[in-house]
Amino acid sequence: MSADTTRSDAPPRPRLRLGALKAPVVVALILIVALLALGEALSPGFASFEQILRLLIVAALLGIVAAGQNLVILGGREGIDLSVGGVVSLSAIVAGNVMNGADGGIAMAILACVATGALFGAFNGLGVTLLRIPPLVMTLGMLGVLQGLLVVIRQGIPSGRAAPALSEFVTRPFLLGLPGIIWLWIAIGLVMAFVLKRTVFGHRIYAIGSNEHAAYMAGVPVRTMRVALFTLSGVFAAIAGICLLGYSGSSFANVGEQYMLPSIIAVVFGGTPLAGGRGGYTGTMAGAVLLVILQSILTTVNIDESGRQMVFGATLLVLMLFYGRGRTMRA
Amino acid sequence: MTKLTLRGVSKAYGATQAVRRGDLEIAPGEVHVLIGSNGSGKSTLCKIVAGSVRPDAGAVLLDGEPVAVSGPQAARALGIGIFYQELSLAGQRTVAENICLTDLPRKAGLFVDRRALAERAQRYIALFEDVAGDDFAADAVVDRLRADQRQLVEIMKALATEAPVLIFDEPTSALDRAQVERFFAILRGLKQEGRSMIFISHRMDEIFAIGDRVTVIRDGETVATMALADTEPAAVIRLMVGEKDELAAAAPQPAAAVASGRAEPLLEVEGFTGAGFHDVSFAVARGEILGFGGLHGQGQSAVLRALFGALPHSAGSVRLAGRPLASRGPRETIRRGCAYVSGDRGRDGVITGRPILENVMPIHYLRNRLVLARPGALRDKARPALEALRTKFAGFGYPVSSLSGGNQQKIVIARWLIDRPSVLLLDDPTKGIDLSTKADLFALIRELAGEGLGIVLYSSEDAELLANADRILVFNGGRISRELVGDERTRYNLYHAAYEAA
Repeated sequence: MSADTTRSDAPPRPRLRLGALKAPVVVALILIVALLALGEALSPGFASFEQILRLLIVAALLGIVAAGQNLVILGGREGIDLSVGGVVSLSAIVAGNVMNGADGGIAMAILACVATGALFGAFNGLGVTLLRIPPLVMTLGMLGVLQGLLVVIRQGIPSGRAAPALSEFVTRPFLLGLPGIIWLWIAIGLVMAFVLKRTVFGHRIYAIGSNEHAAYMAGVPVRTMRVALFTLSGVFAAIAGICLLGYSGSSFANVGEQYMLPSIIAVVFGGTPLAGGRGGYTGTMAGAVLLVILQSILTTVNIDESGRQMVFGATLLVLMLFYGRGRTMRA
Repeated sequence: MTKLTLRGVSKAYGATQAVRRGDLEIAPGEVHVLIGSNGSGKSTLCKIVAGSVRPDAGAVLLDGEPVAVSGPQAARALGIGIFYQELSLAGQRTVAENICLTDLPRKAGLFVDRRALAERAQRYIALFEDVAGDDFAADAVVDRLRADQRQLVEIMKALATEAPVLIFDEPTSALDRAQVERFFAILRGLKQEGRSMIFISHRMDEIFAIGDRVTVIRDGETVATMALADTEPAAVIRLMVGEKDELAAAAPQPAAAVASGRAEPLLEVEGFTGAGFHDVSFAVARGEILGFGGLHGQGQSAVLRALFGALPHSAGSVRLAGRPLASRGPRETIRRGCAYVSGDRGRDGVITGRPILENVMPIHYLRNRLVLARPGALRDKARPALEALRTKFAGFGYPVSSLSGGNQQKIVIARWLIDRPSVLLLDDPTKGIDLSTKADLFALIRELAGEGLGIVLYSSEDAELLANADRILVFNGGRISRELVGDERTRYNLYHAAYEAA
């Protein structure tokens, strides 16, 4: 008993908190600088301002997808959204067809895309909560459905084009030399940080992620929360799809496919374990930038797509080694 | 010549002395009953014999020879078989496979001999023919069976060891009358063969029906062994209670209004029925601490969880402050002013790894429909609640897991103190926490009752119940078997009601 009292009297060393919260971000930032230096050494001009800006735009696209992925993973119970890539592709096609090159159609396109993303996300959430399908299976199945849907849509209807204003938003400097999409990403980062730290919704995400049953017993609407998280993941993927249309000019079937694995890696890199309940979005943003730089370096040294995929897969496995296991053993 | 002898064995788990001094002598061909109240050390004693727990001191003698039961394998080799109270079946496998699990018949030392397995299993299944239920078969998957059928499989598994010494730790808890009769007939047969059995049960009628001798264990010490033919239930209970039955005098005096019965009922429960409890009716008045007593798992916990809305119920009505409480889930009951604290804080309470502040706040969020979480304002709300329980913590930002078990439980309880509930349901809230935390907790509970809350307290520690409850309902087999009011709240009465035939 006396041992108990002394233990609770002595404050735990703050190092623990720093270690859990800050370290992944710091590690990611150090790696970012190191990789930029490596890229510059391999190919002069790699770390120029224009080049970094281009990398940040690509990172923003990934980062927006990863925001939704981050929420789903934080919510725990093996939460993961493998369907994000499909939603990105579908959203890009819907946006392209709705606006079809006209600025006037942008508002309508955004509305249509967000509704589409929310719909598929909500389906995922309902499947996971009401039908008790594991998220991995549910979202993988949804990805299959989306891919089939894309094939059907692509037959017949010509894919649309991006409106000029949208392309400008994504690629042209808007404020302080940064394009609109970077500002959008920063805004999303601030909102995410605020929601996670300063709102009841945010606290409840962590609660269901770390001990779902205790959260239920404390009156947290666990099911509603989970459906909301998957819905938000769909919405974020849809927003990324619109921006991706602006980036590439026209939509083609599987533009979004490249986002599934990297969105998960970015989250884990940022310090959110796949078990959920810990971490945040700031680290994920750093993780997204890091991944994009890594991808770019691989392209610079002429490693083709299949090689890049292998490197990404291996990266995720190595990350699991560092972040994924500790949690399970302590739980 | 005794078959099995335990001489002065002891076992401590950390600071808790589970068995202080265990002496036991089992003769060949006898059913030896072991009896004692909750946590008196019966199960630990059995585990020592079965080899799953190593004693700190003392000797185990088999046929007069000292033996070292170094593990379950060694116990089996020495001829000791055990029926485990917590079922140890392989749920996805068939009845036959489970019966033979301890010693699967093999072909060529590698492959399971299906035919031999079926034959051997059939021998034991046949013993319970006609009482096991129609759907009970050798090839039935264990998970699909009813609770009583699973318990029969566990019994068959113990019998199949054909060990000269058999230990049955509460083997009849789920069985019906006919199944118990058949089981006892089998035990009598084994007695004829000269096998020795240790039998643990809480049902006095069963103990007197099947036992030859009884050993009473109290606070980790075996206090007496006697022939059951020469004694009676009341004498056995008196031995379990011991000399010191002065606790009724120490029990608190409830508020005057409660004592005189003038207090208005706050929580009224009528005919409440669900999984594990039947037709439970009671009322709690404002300012009253109502105790739930009895042996473990007689429905006390299930009733509390169902009242809170965390478990479904099939029948009955609940009224809170005069209005019906149709609990569809904890959210609704919390909004109506119900609070529930579980002793299983790892599962039901603590939001692991999150800061203390987030662990104190969820009820406040819900009851006030908050959207924003402003740390400054929340800290001001949390501080008085934590101080009321004298919680020791370094700061609101520290993870809850940095605290000791007792202080973690205080954090969980503090949740309910920010917005005062009207009913507080305590489901064995002091399980595994230290004495000073317990004292703080019960002081607070009495204070809350003084403020007019209605409190229901289930405790697995009889002393806690006797010292804190104004009135005690004793549960037996999912029903309330007795109500103890005023001077009736003695340890003897509590045990008597708890151990009565179900």
